[in-house]
This record gives sequence, structure tokens and C-alpha cells, in this order.
Amino acid sequence: MRNDAAGLPDAHERLLIDQAIAAQRNRPGALLGILEMVQEANPRKYLSAAALAYIAEKTGLPPAQVYSVATFYALFNLTPQGENVVCVCRGTACHTRGSRDLLEKVSLDLGLDWDAMSGTGEADKLALATPDRSFTLRTVACFGQCAMAPVVEVNHRVLAHVNERTLHREVRARARERK
Amino acid sequence: MPNKTISVRIDGELVTAREGETILDVARANGKEIPTLCHLQGLSAVGACRVCVVELTGTGRLQPACSTPVQEGMSIRTASAKLTLYRRMAVELLLVERNHICSSCVSNGHCELQSLAQRLGVTHVRYAYNNPQLPVDMTHPRFVFDHNRCILCTRCVRVCAEIEGANVWAVASRGIHSHIVCDLDEEWGASRNCTSCGKCVQACPTGALAEKGHAVHEMVKAGEVVSQLAAKRLTRPANGR
Repeated sequence: MRNDAAGLPDAHERLLIDQAIAAQRNRPGALLGILEMVQEANPRKYLSAAALAYIAEKTGLPPAQVYSVATFYALFNLTPQGENVVCVCRGTACHTRGSRDLLEKVSLDLGLDWDAMSGTGEADKLALATPDRSFTLRTVACFGQCAMAPVVEVNHRVLAHVNERTLHREVRARARERK
Repeated sequence: MPNKTISVRIDGELVTAREGETILDVARANGKEIPTLCHLQGLSAVGACRVCVVELTGTGRLQPACSTPVQEGMSIRTASAKLTLYRRMAVELLLVERNHICSSCVSNGHCELQSLAQRLGVTHVRYAYNNPQLPVDMTHPRFVFDHNRCILCTRCVRVCAEIEGANVWAVASRGIHSHIVCDLDEEWGASRNCTSCGKCVQACPTGALAEKGHAVHEMVKAGEVVSQLAAKRLTRPANGR
């Protein structure tokens, strides 16, 4: 996000942000609530640079602090999300049951750059979208469903004991649904 | 009653302190040297670097002297083989985290990290270097931010927020990916909040923040200026503004 924050969000988003700020007024730690409401209202489920700049301006908070909070929490996305979200658990239990291979397989299935992904070491906070924005691939530290490892969440539905075949079938079903 | 007088033991010596003072304050007031890195007199304490750890009798856990308030009857050890071990480890971990190459650094010879490493006898590091690829922000007309030399002590963040009040800097992301950002991760030169006061540069213990157009031997930081500003601000109300 290099100096592309100059623009204003569109009128609709500005209204949403104003409403979110009004709803959280006079609450300590209001910024988290505001960011969450704004992201949830966004059709692409993300916080644009323009939205962050507008939030900082309207709340009077330093832009650096707004950015700091938005990047600290894995919940907040700074890039547009795909329509379907595939979330692979990278917890210890899932890792020992082969979640790394699952992650590699599904990223290849979706045509994502596996090398770029595994090479950065950013696997603990990763969110990659396909170019057509139909899928976003994320990782999470743990779902708390370790007994069902390996676990993959597709559109907020947790799949248990996933193997490469079931995951491939699931992804294909979601892709077909979209067409 | 505020500022009650209490007594504590530092390295076996009985000393008096006021309630609310930190272990570091009391130790320095009594001539005991505790190494520090992220601490800068006049700024709030964060306990980020863990170089100032001390031993407290009755607990096996080391406590940071800069952010632990003294308590009645506390018995503190400021130097021991164990403390040297942990302080050295803290410095080694700082050295491997980013690219601290003294020979090609603007702060060579005037660097608090370098001096501390020398003082603690860190001749080599026992961990693998991270060698991250990090940017250098040269967009500001007068100053440079080199992320390779940053140790995330957050002195720049605190001096900008607490003394200058411009709030230009913040720590973004977390864990190993933490880094200092300017506004919304913008170029420093484009920041509308930055007043170009240069306090962050003076507060920076390493070569991460530096002034352009200075030779290495001129790059002497004046962190004490920040402390003096903070002290003057504190005494102002007492003098009737």
C-alpha cells in the first residue's frame, strides 16, 4: 500500500464508515469495532487504503495506529478477498497429519504460486487470491478441531479428516457453483 | 500519600527509593549500571529489548528493570553470570534478526547496539542469520529509514507520539514480520503528519534512522536531547508555566 491512499472511498463506503464510527462512538477500543464493521460491509471483505485513511481522518486517530491495528489482527484483510475462502489449518496436529501437502495441492489446484508462498516463510499469515478473485487461500494457526485433523475450512464450514481428493472435490464443487 | 519512601536491596546494599520508581531509576540513582537499549529517559517504558533484565530474590523469573516498579523489601541483583548469559542472548538475537553489518553502517562507532555487544563481550553469534530483504526509505529530504538496521525498540514511535505529538510511526504486523511503518505504510517523504523535527533520528539507537549528508564519524546521535525535552516539559507546570 504505497501512497495509493490519496483517493477517497466512494460515497456508499463513506456512508458506511460514518455509520460504523457513529455506532461505536464513545466506546474504548472503538477502532476494532469500526474496522470489523467496515470490512464486513465491503463486498470484497477487505479494508482498502482509502477506507483506512478515511477512518483515520474521521476518528482523529493517527493513520499509523489504524494501520498498525489492521495489520496486527489476522482477521483484517488489506487485499480484496475471493468469493470462496479456503482456509487450511497449519496447527501442529494438522501439520503432522499432512496439512502442508494439502496446502501445496490446493494452491496448485487453484493455480496459485506455491513457490512464492512457501518461500516467504509467511505461511503463518497467508492470504492469496486467484487472479479471477473466485478463491482466496488462507492459513490459520489452529481451529481447535485437532481431533479431526487435518482440518480445512471452506466458506466457514469446517471439513474434517481432509485428504487431497476430498479437498479437490470440494474446491471443484465450489468452482462449478460459481458458473 | 504519593511517593512513599520504601527501602529495597540492590546487590545486597540497602537503598531508599520512592514508590512508583522503576528498578532502573533506583539502580542508576545509586550508581549501579544496568545496560539498556529500548529505554530512553523521558519516554515511556516498553520492555522490548530485554537487555535490562535483573534477578529478583524469591522468583526464578528475570524482570526488565526499565518497566518493573520497586516494591518494599525487594532484593535485586543487577549483575550475575546468569544475567550476562541472558543479556548476551538478547543482543545476539537482535543481531541475527536483521542485517546488522557494522562495517557498512552509517552508525559504525556510534551505535548503541554495537557498544552493547562489545560491552557484553559478544564476539560472535550462535544462531543462524535471518538475512531478510528489507527496503530503505530514502524519500524524506533530510532523513533515511533503513529497515535493515532497525531493532524495533520503538523509541522513534514513542518519541514521535509522546514528545512531538505527530504520531507518524507505528509498528505494523506482528511476530517476525513486525516492522515500523510511516502513516498507512506510506513513503516517509510523502507523510503529511511528519514535521521533519528529527527527534526520531536522535532517539534511534542504531543506524536505522539517519540524517542524510553526514559522514559516518559525524553521525553522533543526541538521545539525551530527547530526555532533556521530556524533563523540561515535566517541570513546566511546577514553575507556574
